[in-house]
Amino acid sequence: MKDINELIKKFNSFFQEKAVLTRKYKQQYQIVTGRDELLGILNWCKQYSFYHLANIVCVDWLEDEEFELVYNLWSYEFKIGCLVKIRIPRARPWAPTVFELWGQAQVYEQEIHEFFGVYFPGNPDLSSLFLHNWHDLPPLRKDFDPVEYSRQAYTVEGLGVKPEYEKEDNSEGRES
Amino acid sequence: MSNINGLLSLKLLGFSFLSMSVGLLFMGLGRKVTARIQRRLGPPFYQAFLDVFKAFSKSSITHNYVMDLGIIMSLGGLIATAFFIPFAGYAVLGSSSIVIILYLMSIGYLGMAMGVSASGNPNATIGISRALALMLGYEIPIVMIVMAMMLTYGSSDLLTFATAQQGGFANWHIFKYPLGFLAIEISFQAMLGEAPYDHMIAPAEIASGPMVELSGKYLGIGFLLHAVQLYVETGLIVNLFLGGASTWYVFLLKQFAVYFTSMCINAVMARYRIEQGIAHLWKYAGTLALLQLFITRLGVF
Amino acid sequence: MKKNVYMTNLRDERQNAWEGILNYFRKRSMWMLYYCTGCGAVELPPTMTTRFDMERFGMGPMATPRQADLLLITGYLSVKTLKRVIRSYEQMQDPKYLVGFGSCPINGGIYWDTYPVINHLEMFLPVDMSIAGCMPRPQAILDSFEKLRDEIQEGKAVGYKRYEKHYDWYKANQDKVLNREDAVLQPWEDPFADKPTLEALQAGEKMEEGEDK
Repeated sequence: MKDINELIKKFNSFFQEKAVLTRKYKQQYQIVTGRDELLGILNWCKQYSFYHLANIVCVDWLEDEEFELVYNLWSYEFKIGCLVKIRIPRARPWAPTVFELWGQAQVYEQEIHEFFGVYFPGNPDLSSLFLHNWHDLPPLRKDFDPVEYSRQAYTVEGLGVKPEYEKEDNSEGRES
Repeated sequence: MSNINGLLSLKLLGFSFLSMSVGLLFMGLGRKVTARIQRRLGPPFYQAFLDVFKAFSKSSITHNYVMDLGIIMSLGGLIATAFFIPFAGYAVLGSSSIVIILYLMSIGYLGMAMGVSASGNPNATIGISRALALMLGYEIPIVMIVMAMMLTYGSSDLLTFATAQQGGFANWHIFKYPLGFLAIEISFQAMLGEAPYDHMIAPAEIASGPMVELSGKYLGIGFLLHAVQLYVETGLIVNLFLGGASTWYVFLLKQFAVYFTSMCINAVMARYRIEQGIAHLWKYAGTLALLQLFITRLGVF
Repeated sequence: MKKNVYMTNLRDERQNAWEGILNYFRKRSMWMLYYCTGCGAVELPPTMTTRFDMERFGMGPMATPRQADLLLITGYLSVKTLKRVIRSYEQMQDPKYLVGFGSCPINGGIYWDTYPVINHLEMFLPVDMSIAGCMPRPQAILDSFEKLRDEIQEGKAVGYKRYEKHYDWYKANQDKVLNREDAVLQPWEDPFADKPTLEALQAGEKMEEGEDK
């Protein structure tokens, strides 16, 4: 298939109102869909030459109480990029894993799970990738306050560090 | 045993200090040479002495007694080799058999291998296995050249070779056996572990190989090892090919000339892979040495 | 007034004459291990090579912590890196010196308000010299090394002794950050922590719409 318009027509007739396809830029199309249709649409795209998954992005829409997952695809045949977007509720966020379609998606999903708390059932490894010994909210959520965290976690006041010479015997008069 | 008297032990002590300090001086000068080639000012020429003193002033960590033993054995083996190298026509033990020299030289490496392998660091093991593999590469050309010399003079004494070259430049073996000199020059680069044969100490690759676990005083001994090795190997080449010397400063100058050439090559070459390095040594140095051996034999008959 | 206390104490250890002689050699031959944690590492190649030529002071890069005297923290330190830096520092042999590079090890630099980057390095390891700047140019680096050499000669650069003497203080600070057991702000309650939900999800069952909201 050489013509992109034919492909779009085929897409629209195949999925009809389950997905909305629009043209964003000259070389970028956008498909907005739901969680249930995600795997089908990604599979379809992969079949029709969009076989490069560049990355997966998570966007936190705090007012809408939703997360947006963006799958960034690229077709070497048409030289065209395609964004597949889904929205998931923020309270119990989960999305199907695309690990079976693209092997590299495993790490992307692991990272999103670490930084947003989105759960991907079926992903074999969702352990902590970058953070060390983390107990707080996932740090890239909008309701996480990094300034306050840094103040409490790493500064002298936050850690309650005492001057080191207090340990010495003759330190009574030296404080202040 | 009666030979070991007080004077001789004093001489031996002096000789070991001589070999170490000559080697350290050369190391500093070599760094200066490299720096000038790279258009830098470079460290002062006595930098290697400062480094060694500093290394001995640090605390150090040992992993087991085999490590201590191996390092000491390595230094001992190399210093023992230095006693057999005639310094300006003077062999301190009276003998300078090249067979003994070649035999003792490998003790240095074996001791090093034992010591650093005991440290348990995989990088050290890789480095030392590379060094031993490379030894296969350069020992064969050297032995062939030595064989050619021994067949010519009917002797295995290094001093005999050196005295035979007296009486002007034309008598030097470098002109009589040019192919052999080329072969030994290539092997020398590998013996010292300079580029393109610096597989053993590849800082960016295996974290300086055998030296990886050496800290403080052990590193100081490592420096001394390299210094004595430098003295032994340059001394060997000067006696074999550059006509020896009758005065100490001429001898030192000739030694430095050999090391200077080596450092110049080192500064501009990249590193081979290990199997390329051995293949290169066998192909080129080996062929040259073999040719030299045949030519010498034909000349004798 | 009290805030400056943490950086200025215990820098005057006395030294005897023999130590003074050894210090002469130590300052003339510093081998460094540069920990490329951040952007600062890019300022070191110009410092080492032709134009500024660090080697004329006897300084050079070394491959492993065992051989090095000088640990350079070049740039910001995340918590995960801090753990490795502490391990490297403890592997080095006395005497050892630690130099913080740029503003990040001093107070966090431009990363002062981020969640993974520590703010003050001297709370966790004894820093002998800090170079301000983002990033310090090679001139500044060489100038600070010059000052460090003076301090070594005078016996003031004794971070390693400080670390030994106050190890419990440093260790406590390190543990507070590295072995944190509770959440700092508010604990994260994973909605998928309970087993039935998880199994239902993995079995492919749909979540009830009411629960999703």
